[in-house]
Amino acid sequence: MDKNKAVIDFLNECPEIQSHPLYFNFSQAKDNNKQIVTTGNDKAINKPYIDGSVLKQFTFTIIDYKSIAYRAVVKQPGYTDENVEDMAEVQNIIDWVEEKAYNRVYPNFGSDCFIENMEVLTDNPNLNGTDTTVTPALAKYSLSIQITYVDYSKALY
Amino acid sequence: MAVNQFNLPEHRRAERKLLITVAEWKEPTGTGTATTTVREILGRRTEDSSIEYNPDVATSTDILGINYTDVNKTQPSQTFDPYLILGGSKLGAKLNDIRRRNAIAELDQFDMYIITAYVGSTGLYEAEKHTGCTIQYTSLGGDSNVNMPITVNFSNKITNGTVDKLTDDFVFTPDVTV
Repeated sequence: MDKNKAVIDFLNECPEIQSHPLYFNFSQAKDNNKQIVTTGNDKAINKPYIDGSVLKQFTFTIIDYKSIAYRAVVKQPGYTDENVEDMAEVQNIIDWVEEKAYNRVYPNFGSDCFIENMEVLTDNPNLNGTDTTVTPALAKYSLSIQITYVDYSKALY
Repeated sequence: MAVNQFNLPEHRRAERKLLITVAEWKEPTGTGTATTTVREILGRRTEDSSIEYNPDVATSTDILGINYTDVNKTQPSQTFDPYLILGGSKLGAKLNDIRRRNAIAELDQFDMYIITAYVGSTGLYEAEKHTGCTIQYTSLGGDSNVNMPITVNFSNKITNGTVDKLTDDFVFTPDVTV
């Protein structure tokens, strides 16, 4: 079972992601583009058990590009700030993943794997930087998700 | 009787999963006296577990300074820590039932198999059956998951034999002594 495909299928159920283009590893930096970026998972943290199964982690990052506005936040009734709203949209992805994890709804890693836990590694999105060379200027938000699972594929029994 | 050699290529280390401990016990079926045999392979989510032989050793030295060592007995035991409360664990449920009733007299009802899958050939793995063993739970709790560490005390009432496969539905065939 391809874990990347499983993650893509899983994330495509997220309303915040469904409504915008989702890319895998490569994408153009455009407003509302979302991108899954894979991470090399360190084998040193794998935990082998005496039955041959292994506890592993699968970590990936979601990058979300958002256009930015250079307006001061003002306190007026009905006023909304684009940057604050954008940040909230990214936060919605985190909240959706956390809710799924709480309800133990996980990506399908196949019958050889049992997902133990899924968590977003930060409570709120990272702001990794801005790109002012494009129009509109973009902010790059990211969040990393870690899935802990037991791989039974090499278990003897 | 010739010693069976390891079924491993030269210098290949035996993977830990090739040493298998299996618990077997009888469970009543329905309301009558009929029972069914239940087995569980131990070791799910356990990172490290060894059979400790706990030998009782007596050593003496004669007037020439030569040592004589007698191994009077062994009392093998094996601890599984963590032994997590896992969904589908038949032994975990059995021990938990004994624990809640404090029916400690029922802890000695287990037969244990030690399968050495690195000895023998496919369909004929060496195994030993210890009859009348005790499994004791030592604690219950933990941090994020419920752990009930257990210690198996092997009886040393051994029947040697072979098993045909490495799943819990194996057939144990005692060795024939001529």
